[in-house]
Amino acid sequence: MLQVRDLGVAFGAVQPLAGVSFGIDKGETLGIVGESGSGKSLTAMSVMGLLPLIGGRITDGSMQFDGQDLTRLAEKDYRKLRGGRIGLITQNPMTSLDPLQKIGPQVDAVAVLHLGMTGAQARARTVEILGTLRIPEPALICDRYPHQMSGGMKQRIVIAMALAADPDLLIADEPTTALDVTVQAQIIRLLDDLVKQRNLALILITHDMSVVAQTCDKVVVMYAGRAIEQGPVGAIFDAPQHPYTQALIGCIPRGLADGDRIEGIPGTVPTVMNYPKGCPFHPRCDRAQPTCETVEPVLTPRGDGAVACHFPGAAP
Amino acid sequence: MTNLLEVRDLSKRFSSGGGPFRRARSMQAVNGVSFDLPRGRVIGVVGESGCGKSTLARLILRLIEPSSGTVQFNGADLLAKTASQMRALRADMQMVFQDPYSAIDPRYTVARAVAEPFGIQGRTPKGSMADEVAGLLDMVGLDPGLAGSFPHQISGGQKQRVGIARALALRPALLVLDEPTASLDVSVQAQIISLLQQLRDDLDLTYLFISHDLSLVKYFCDEILVMYLGRVVEALPDTSAPARHPYTRTLMDSTFEPDPKLRRTITPLEGEVPSPFNLPPGCAFADRCPQATTLCRTQTPTLDPRGGHPVACHHPI
Amino acid sequence: MTTRTMAARSFDAFARMSVGRAFGSTVGKIAGGFIVLLVLTAIFAPWIAPFDYAAQNLANGNTPPAWPHLLGTDEFGRDVLSRVIYGARTSLSVSGTAIAISMTVGMTLGAAAGNFGGFFERAVMTVVDLTWSFPDILIALIFVAIIGPGLTSTTFAIAIAYLAQFTRLTRAQIVRLKRETFIEATINLGAKPAHILLRHLMPNAIAPVIVVGMLAIGDGIVLEATLGFFGLGAQPPTPSWGAMMSSGTAQLFLSPWVIIFPGIVVAVTVIAVNLFGDELIRALDIRDRLRGA
Repeated sequence: MLQVRDLGVAFGAVQPLAGVSFGIDKGETLGIVGESGSGKSLTAMSVMGLLPLIGGRITDGSMQFDGQDLTRLAEKDYRKLRGGRIGLITQNPMTSLDPLQKIGPQVDAVAVLHLGMTGAQARARTVEILGTLRIPEPALICDRYPHQMSGGMKQRIVIAMALAADPDLLIADEPTTALDVTVQAQIIRLLDDLVKQRNLALILITHDMSVVAQTCDKVVVMYAGRAIEQGPVGAIFDAPQHPYTQALIGCIPRGLADGDRIEGIPGTVPTVMNYPKGCPFHPRCDRAQPTCETVEPVLTPRGDGAVACHFPGAAP
Repeated sequence: MTNLLEVRDLSKRFSSGGGPFRRARSMQAVNGVSFDLPRGRVIGVVGESGCGKSTLARLILRLIEPSSGTVQFNGADLLAKTASQMRALRADMQMVFQDPYSAIDPRYTVARAVAEPFGIQGRTPKGSMADEVAGLLDMVGLDPGLAGSFPHQISGGQKQRVGIARALALRPALLVLDEPTASLDVSVQAQIISLLQQLRDDLDLTYLFISHDLSLVKYFCDEILVMYLGRVVEALPDTSAPARHPYTRTLMDSTFEPDPKLRRTITPLEGEVPSPFNLPPGCAFADRCPQATTLCRTQTPTLDPRGGHPVACHHPI
Repeated sequence: MTTRTMAARSFDAFARMSVGRAFGSTVGKIAGGFIVLLVLTAIFAPWIAPFDYAAQNLANGNTPPAWPHLLGTDEFGRDVLSRVIYGARTSLSVSGTAIAISMTVGMTLGAAAGNFGGFFERAVMTVVDLTWSFPDILIALIFVAIIGPGLTSTTFAIAIAYLAQFTRLTRAQIVRLKRETFIEATINLGAKPAHILLRHLMPNAIAPVIVVGMLAIGDGIVLEATLGFFGLGAQPPTPSWGAMMSSGTAQLFLSPWVIIFPGIVVAVTVIAVNLFGDELIRALDIRDRLRGA
């Protein structure tokens, strides 16, 4: 469905993303996981063709979506895809909705634009979708304004907008970060159901490894703008190959069963301005060798997945 | 083991004033909270937004005046203290704040921020101030060379360490931690948590740990208080205790395991947290609870200290 | 190292950083340079001005710019250049003094209002807002009526005209800062209210106030010129740009240089002050804080 190869993105002289590759098919959930500054949101924006909006451009690589290379797509064709066959759910539901417009018209607009429906048809569709998302009294909700809704409700409405044009691919950028834990569980379950019922492809971007474990089939781990490991979710958690992935899993607070104390990774996540030379993780890595300081590792297949490391494998 | 903290029936009501055109509204942010915090223990307070946990932290430190209830700190009744007595007592009970980005005066260097408690409380360190500051920075894992830096020059994790150093400068007995890692990356969070554990051992501290992250609280704390809309609905005596309150069970079910083999089935929980201004009568959780009865909707359950595992529910699990 | 030296050092570094950065841009350099030039001119006026500003030479009246009177002479034969140079003194000293008084009183009232709140705050703000509702000229006229025309009236008029602005801005800063986490942290350390006000609230509040003060000096110069235009400001023979422009109107077609040159200087001064103020705002990165007033 979507195959990204060697994606590189630049803003002026700065290269925040490089060598990012992953693929996703219908009915699959792909998790892109990383900490702040890892480039995961930037990846989502690149797929959506929104880079020019923020002053960026694609420098290398390709993004094959159903036969078309998105990197070569003209803006007017992109507009047909965006909100249509590719839907985006953004991080902050508080700011994704127009505060001055009622909810009904905002969701209707998607069907009108992308499916050519009339106002009445679009409204019927809106009510139906809101119902499937378990929003109570959808017909009444259409007449309300965003500020009258809670955070969880708003996020469901944003999801409704993403679904209204019957997309094949959904990109959810940290859809639950701003929500309470119990609401997050509901939204995650909702997304799970959607993927199953509609055979969607879902790219879930998050910093939370537990969410990934719960809901993803495949995982891409990003660090400093590079995909440093990827693979099926079971392999990533059972046998992580990259020292960063291993350390990241080790940072998750666990119950008493472990007995070990979590350590954290020494140092700090590098900012775009000072990505280290060679492997971006080497200053914080406990098995770094001189090669790691100069030669940047490339994402190479290993087992069921791929890893970008000179010395991959289980921790010594 | 003596209790460092004894809280009884602590409550706080906030009202937004009325006027000729607007009716006054009030909400009970914290409602009848009671618990003991023994010396050397770590108690976690967990709940979602609006549950009152942050307000509770501030009530205990008397940064907000309680509407009713008592707080005994080291045997002394905090609410009976005068303003200047409170100021002196504060040296013994400190707080680490949620937002490291605004917790330090942007115009103060790290050294000045960490040294400030001494000046305020009128104490002098044993050696020189510079040595004391260096020692404190070292204690929280910071390079003493950062003493001359400004907050905007250091990272979030480093800022939080400065906040911890400042809080511990006068060796308090109690440290209240209000979501200390909520705005930090996972890898940095782990560093800070590890630091806090080590400091607790080294300095014999007692912690009150506020968080929305149940897995973090389970990892870090000895006992757990679960709050919902201003009330403590359950007090877990240890972290492996099973949930007895339906809300706690929901919270646990919503907290995912970092292991794909342990995926949860998420049962749909309808509704959202009701507005604290318009609380329905009876149990606040009733309209979302899968096992609510008419009793639940009419009578508010109280915390029943049954066999060391108190729960506020008419039909505990 | 005592807290005091640490405090002095950090303030020093901060001030140097901000003003230094303001001079960093091209605009900052040109505008700032002009302001420095103006201040130096005002200070060294007696040495720079080629003629005595009051020296009349009726036979030589209304001569166009030519050597030795580079900017010409006015109707009394006085050298326009010298009068413009000395006019700088008048403008800057009046405006500067007035704004300094206004800022000091305004900051004190605003800080007290913001810090203590309640009835006191409302009382202070009501009184201060009343002063804001009067047009500057009216205030000046009131003073002139009481004290008589001259620099003292002008100074007080300007001071009162801007008092509200400084009070409101300072109060808004204090109110905003009180909600910051580090203030709560300082209270939690057991600090007394005076410590919080003087060591944390005020130092963080003054930056926008100083910048507004700078811009107000520019406005004050215009106000002084306006009053002088109506003959309410500096009295003859004290040169004032406004007064010069006023007397120049009568001779507009005969000797336009009498009105043009002071006019240009006023305009350029105000532009320079505003531009430099903008650079300072950008350097201190406080654009968002100025919306409090």
